[in-house]
Amino acid sequence: MSLQTLIPLLIATPGVLFLLLGVIWLLGGHVSERAMSRISKATHAFLAVVVVIIGWAMWRENMTSIQVSLGDWFTVAEYGFPLSLLIDRLSLPLVGLTVVLTGIVGSFSVRYLHRDPGFYRFFLMLHLFTFGALLVFTAGSLDMLVVGWETVGITSVLLIGFFQYRPEPVSNALRVFATYRLADLFLLSAVFLSHHWFGTASWVGIFSGDWPGGGYKFDGPAATVIAVLLAFAASGKASQGPFFGWLPRAMEGPTPASAVFYGAISVHAGAYLLLRAEPLIHHSVIASGLVIFIGLTTAFLGTLIHRTCADAKTSLAYAAQTQLGLIFAEIGFGWTTLAVIHLVSHAMLRTLQFLRAPSMLRDYHRVHAAAGGKLNPTGGCYESLLPFAVQLWLYRWALARGFYDAIVERWVIAPVQSLARWLAIFEPEFSHRSSETEPSAKAVETPVS
Amino acid sequence: MQDAQPSGGCLEHLRRVVVRASDFLPTQGPIGVFVHHNTLHSLQHKVFEEAVVEGAHLFGAEPFLSEDAYQAERKRQRILDEDIDAVISREPDAEILPGRLTRHQLRRVMLTPGVRRVNGINISWHLEEGDWLRTFRRDLPANIRSSLRKDSPKALWNACLIYAKPQSAPAAGRPKRPRDAVLAEFGIDMDLLTHPPLIRLVGAYLDQGIACWPMPLREEGLLKAARKIMPQALTIFPARLGGVRAAFLKQQSCGMDAEEVVLDALKQLAVPADEWEEYIKEELLALRGWAGMVRMLENDVTLAPHDRVRCSIMEFLALRLTYTVAALKDIASDTAAWRTIRLPAPRFDPLTHIARMFDVAQLLGINSSSLKALSEDELARLDQEIVACDETERRRLLHLAYERRHERNFLLPLARHRAMPQIVRSSNRLIAQVIFCIDEREESIRRALEEVDPAIETVGAAGFFGVAINYASMDDADGVSLCPVVVKPSHAVREVAVEEHAHLHEQRQGLRRAWSRVARNSFISSRTLVRGWISTACLGFLSLFPLVLRVLTPLAYGRFIRRLNRAFLPEPKTEFTFMRDDAASRDATTGLMRGFTTQEQAQCVYDVLGPAGLHKGHARLVVILGHGSTSLNNPYESAYCCGACGGHTGAPNARLFALIANRPAVREALRAKGVVIPEDTWFLGGYHDTCNEDIHFFDLNLLPESHHGDLSRVHQSLEKARKLSAHERSRRFAAAGRDITPELGLRHVRERAEHIGEPRPEYGHCTNAVAFVGRREITKGLFMDRRAFLVSYDATKDPTNEALGRVLGAAIPVCGGINLEYYFSTVDVETYGSGTKLPHNITGLVGVMNGYQGDLRFGLPVQTVELHEPVRILFVVETTPKRLMSTVKASAELTELVCNKWIRIATMDPDDGRVEVYRDGVFEKLEGDEVPLPVSPSSMAWYRGKMENLALARIDPRAAA
Repeated sequence: MSLQTLIPLLIATPGVLFLLLGVIWLLGGHVSERAMSRISKATHAFLAVVVVIIGWAMWRENMTSIQVSLGDWFTVAEYGFPLSLLIDRLSLPLVGLTVVLTGIVGSFSVRYLHRDPGFYRFFLMLHLFTFGALLVFTAGSLDMLVVGWETVGITSVLLIGFFQYRPEPVSNALRVFATYRLADLFLLSAVFLSHHWFGTASWVGIFSGDWPGGGYKFDGPAATVIAVLLAFAASGKASQGPFFGWLPRAMEGPTPASAVFYGAISVHAGAYLLLRAEPLIHHSVIASGLVIFIGLTTAFLGTLIHRTCADAKTSLAYAAQTQLGLIFAEIGFGWTTLAVIHLVSHAMLRTLQFLRAPSMLRDYHRVHAAAGGKLNPTGGCYESLLPFAVQLWLYRWALARGFYDAIVERWVIAPVQSLARWLAIFEPEFSHRSSETEPSAKAVETPVS
Repeated sequence: MQDAQPSGGCLEHLRRVVVRASDFLPTQGPIGVFVHHNTLHSLQHKVFEEAVVEGAHLFGAEPFLSEDAYQAERKRQRILDEDIDAVISREPDAEILPGRLTRHQLRRVMLTPGVRRVNGINISWHLEEGDWLRTFRRDLPANIRSSLRKDSPKALWNACLIYAKPQSAPAAGRPKRPRDAVLAEFGIDMDLLTHPPLIRLVGAYLDQGIACWPMPLREEGLLKAARKIMPQALTIFPARLGGVRAAFLKQQSCGMDAEEVVLDALKQLAVPADEWEEYIKEELLALRGWAGMVRMLENDVTLAPHDRVRCSIMEFLALRLTYTVAALKDIASDTAAWRTIRLPAPRFDPLTHIARMFDVAQLLGINSSSLKALSEDELARLDQEIVACDETERRRLLHLAYERRHERNFLLPLARHRAMPQIVRSSNRLIAQVIFCIDEREESIRRALEEVDPAIETVGAAGFFGVAINYASMDDADGVSLCPVVVKPSHAVREVAVEEHAHLHEQRQGLRRAWSRVARNSFISSRTLVRGWISTACLGFLSLFPLVLRVLTPLAYGRFIRRLNRAFLPEPKTEFTFMRDDAASRDATTGLMRGFTTQEQAQCVYDVLGPAGLHKGHARLVVILGHGSTSLNNPYESAYCCGACGGHTGAPNARLFALIANRPAVREALRAKGVVIPEDTWFLGGYHDTCNEDIHFFDLNLLPESHHGDLSRVHQSLEKARKLSAHERSRRFAAAGRDITPELGLRHVRERAEHIGEPRPEYGHCTNAVAFVGRREITKGLFMDRRAFLVSYDATKDPTNEALGRVLGAAIPVCGGINLEYYFSTVDVETYGSGTKLPHNITGLVGVMNGYQGDLRFGLPVQTVELHEPVRILFVVETTPKRLMSTVKASAELTELVCNKWIRIATMDPDDGRVEVYRDGVFEKLEGDEVPLPVSPSSMAWYRGKMENLALARIDPRAAA
C-alpha cells in the first residue's frame, strides 16, 4: 500500500471507529467491555504499525515530507479550497506520540473504567479525540487543522464533564469550553485573514521548504498579524498567557482523561501549532517577542503557583503549564528541534505522572522512610532569598492562583453578564426566566412520598 | 448571652456547643491509615432503625437501600413474602376498618406487591399520559380483581378525590444557614463563593508535603496565618468576598482570637444562644470532610503522617464564619435579616396522596361504592395509616425482611450442619495448626487448606495476635501502632539486623538514602522551572519504559523491579528486640516500654491460645499468619489491610508471637497458667497477602531440623490452598473470565495487585455479613463464601467467661465497625461513601477530593462496595444467652452496639447446638427448617461459574459430584 493511502487510513481509522460505535450506540446497541477493549487495543496496534511503516518508508527513501491531496472541497475559478495532509519531520514524532499515548491510556482505561456507567462514552470520546489529534498533526492546511482542533476541544470538554451527574465537573467543563471558544476566535481570524491576504491557508502555500529550517513566502504586517493571532490561539489550547488558569479545572474528569489530554496531547497541540508556524513567527520580532514573553511569564507564574499547590493533580497541572511555557519560549527563540524533543519528552513524563497520581501517598511515604524519616525541607530555595514581606505576598499571590479567577470573574464574566442583562430588555419573552424562579427549582428535591 | 463583651459563661457555652456540634463530623483520619468505623458513630446511643432515619435527615443521606432495590430483591426471591409477613407481625397492630382491615393487612399489600412509585413530580404524567386511569393495576390477585370488576378506574379515582382527606402542604422551612436564605432570595449559592478559598487555605495549611513551598506562619495557627496572608496590600479577593479583607484587618487590629471571632460572627448573624449548636452544626457539616479532618488532627496530632500542624476546629469555624459574614454583607447588606426569610415550600402536589389512596384501594379491592360506604372515621383512619406507611417506613420494613432472609439462610443451614456428623474425624494428632486472622477474607483459604489437607486445623484470632505493639521495621523511620485502634500500645518492638549482618544493614540504608535522594530530586525537579527544563527535556523519554511496561505487562514489570531490588539492595538477616527485664522502665520521651517481660509475653500468648482453645492439643507445627494487602496506585490501600492492626499489616505481630511462644521461659510461665505446650511444638510466623495471595514465613533459620518435614508438608498444602483461594476470589471478577484454572486465578489476582490502573485490586470486606464466634469444628466443611468472620473460641474451656469478654471486646467493635462502614457506604455512596474513585485527587497526603477543589471525601468508594449486601452483621456466639448477655452488659460499648441493634446477635448452645436469636431484649429460639443445606464434593464444584453471593453448602468429598 502506498503512503498516499496509508496516511489517510491512519487518520480515518479512529474516526470511522468512532462513527461505527456512535451509530451502534444511537441505535440502542451495545458493545461489551471485553469487545470494546479488544477493538481499542487492535486499533491502536494497527495505528502503531502504520506509523512505523510510514516512518520507515520515509527514512528509507530519505523523504523529508509527504503531501497527500484529498481533492478540493470546492473550487471557484482560480481559487480552490484544497483538502490535504502533510507528514514531515515535525508531524511524524507527534503522530507517533499520539498513537503510543492514546494506546497506553486506552489500555489503562479498560481496567480503570471497568463497570463505570460511562465506559462506552469514554471510549467513544477517546477514539474521536485520537482522530482529532491525528488530524491536527497531519493537517496540510490551517483549515484542516481547525477541524482537528475543534474535535480535540470538544472531546476535552466532554471528558472534563464526564461525571455529568455532579454540578462541579459540568460547570468547570463549561468554563473550559468558553475559554476554548474565546481562543478559537483567534484561530478562525487567522484562517480567514490568511485566505484573504495570502489566498491560501495551506502550509505549502504559506511556507517554503521543509520543516525545520523552512522559509516563508509572505512578509510584512499581514504575516505578523497572522503570527500573533496564531500565538494567541495556541496559548488558549496550552493554557498560556492570558488563558492561563483553566488547566486545574480540567482535573474533574477521570484520571486517564486528565493524563492524555492535559498531561500530554491536547495541551501540546498549542505548541505544535506554534512549531508549525515557526517560520512566520520567527520573521516577525513582534510575534516572536510575544511568544517568548507569553512563554516565560507563564513558566514563571506556573512554577510559583505549582510550589504552593497541595493536591496531586493541580500541582501536576501547573507543573505542566510551566514546561509548556518553556517550550513556547524555545519556539520563540527559534530552537525548534529542542522544542520538539522537549515536547515529546515532557508529554511522556506527564502522562506517567498523571496516571500514577493516586500513588502519591505511597510514593511519598516510601521516600520519607528511605530517607530515614527526614526529608530535606523544600521551599527554602529561591523564596528564602527574598524579604519575608515579599515572600508572604508571593505566597498569597500563588495561593490565589495569580488572582486569575478573581480577575476573570470581576472584570470579564460580570461585565458580560451585565451586558447580557441589559440586552435582555430587547428580548423579554426569552429572558424573564431570571433568578427569582431559579431557587424554587432547587428546593423540589424531596417530594412527599 | 448576646453581650458585645463575651462573658466567661458565654465562652464556656460556645466551647461546649462547638464540641457537641463537631461530634457529627466524620471521624476518619488521614487516609494513609484507614480505620473502619461506624459512620453514624455520633448516633450510636440510639436504636439503629431510628438512628439511620435521623442520620438521613441530618446529613441529607439515604437510610436504607431504595424501595426499588428491595423490590428487585423480592423479585429474585432474596426477600420472600413470608419474611415480610414475619416482619410486619412483629410491629404493633391496629384495626383500621373494623372486621375488614388491620394495619398489618394494609402494610402487607403496600409491601407486596407494593405501591407504585408516585410523587409530586410524576403524578400528572401518570394520570394524563400513563395508564393509571385506563386500567386497574395488572398485578392484582384474582379475588381482588373480581371485587373491582364492576368498577372503573375513573370512578374509583373520582371517589378517592371526593373522599380522601386532603393532606396539608408541608410547612415552608426556616433557613438553617445564611446560604439557604441567600439562595432562596437572590439565587446565589454562597457555598460556591466561600468554599474554594476555604478549601485552598485549609488544604495548604494541612498539607503534609505535596506543596514544595509549605504555608508560611503555620506555627501561628490556621486563623492567624490566614489573617496575615490573605489581606495584604495589592491583593484581589474574588467577587463578593471583598469584605473579607476588612474583616481580617479588624480582627487583627483588635487582636481577636478564634472564639471571639466566632462570638462576633454569631452576634452579627443574630443567632440566639440556644440555637448556636444547631447553627454551628450546619455550618460545619457544609464542608464536613475538611472540618472533620481538622477536628481529627486536633484531637490526636499523632494522626498527621508527617508534619504535625496545630489544628483547631474553633479556628476553622472562625475562618468559615468570617467568609460567610463577608459574603452575606456583600449580597444582602443586612447580616441579621436572613433568619426571617422563609424558604420556598417544597413542591407539593395534593394529588399525590389521592393517588396513593387510589393505589391502595385497588390493592385492597375497595371499589368506588365501598369507598363511598366508609364512615368519616374509617376514612380518616385509612388516610392516616397510608400516610404513616410512607416510603421510609416501607423501606425500613423491607430492610428488616431482607435481613431476616439473610439470617434464616445462614442460621438454619448452620444448625443443620452442626447436627450432622463431622466430615473428617481424626483422632490422631494434627499435622499442623494454622492461626489466621478472624478476617472474613481468610475464610476461603482456611476452608481450602482444610480441604487440601484434612490433617491441618485452622484457627481464627484477631490479627494482632494479642501483641499490641508499636513497631518499626528495619526500614522504617518511626514506629506505628499494630493493634486495634481502641488500644494504645505500651510496648515498642523494633526490627534490627543481626549482629553479623550489621554491615549489610548499613549498606542497605546507605543505598536507600541514596535512592531516596534520587527519587525525591527527580520528583521535585520534574515539576519545577529550572531543574524541570533539564529533566523533562532530557530524561522524560525514560518514563516511556515504565509507562508502557507497567500498563501492558504489569506482572513482568513487577518481577523486574523486584529482581533489581534483590540484585542491588542487600537483605540482612533481622531479629526483633522484644526482651525487657525490668517491669517498670519506660522510655522517658515516648512513654513506650521497650519490649515485654517474660510474664507479659506469657500473658500475650495465653490471650490467644486460651480462647482459641487449641484443645485438641498442639500440633508439632503451629503457623501464625498475619495478613495485609498490597496494591498500586490506590489511596485506599490501607483499608484493605488488617483492621485488628489499625489498618496496617499484621506480619510483625505474627512473627513476634511465634518468637515469644517458642521461648522456653514463656512456656514455663504458661504451664503455670494451665496451658501446656508440648516440647516438640514449634511456632512459625508468616504473612498472607489478601490481594496477591502471597504467603511467606519468617525466621525459618530458627526452625529445628526435626520440623523441616512438617514445614514442607504445610508449605505444599498452603501453596495449593492459596491457588484455590485465588481461584475462588476470581469468580467475582468479570475480567478474570470463567472456567479458568486455579493457576490462572492466582495469576489474575497477582496482576490486579501489580496493575497501576486497577481500581479494585481486591474487593476488601465487601462480602462481610456474619461473624461466628465458636469452635472451628462447628463450621468446618461449611462453604461460607468468604462472608463470615471466624473467631475461634471454646466455651467449654471458659467457665468464667473471661476469654469470651476478651474475644468479643475485640471482635464486636472491629467487625461491627467494618460492617457498618460498608453498610452506610453502600446505602448512600455519595453522602456516606466517597463516590466513584475515578476522579479522586490526593490532597495534602491526608485525603482525597473530587477534582481540584472539593470537599475531602470519606467512607468507601463505589468500587469497594459495589458487591456488598448491606445487612447488619450477624454474630453467632457459641455460648448460652445468659453467659453472652452477662459479658455484653459488662462493657458499655458492647451494650450499646448489641442493645441498640447495630449488630444482630444469636447464640448457639455449646452442648446441644440450639440457636437462639436476640430480638428486642429477649432471646428467641430459632424455629423452622425451610432452608436446605446442599452438599457438594468440593468448594470449586459449588462456586464454579457463578458470580453472585452463594448459599451455605456442606463440602463433603465423599458426596457424589
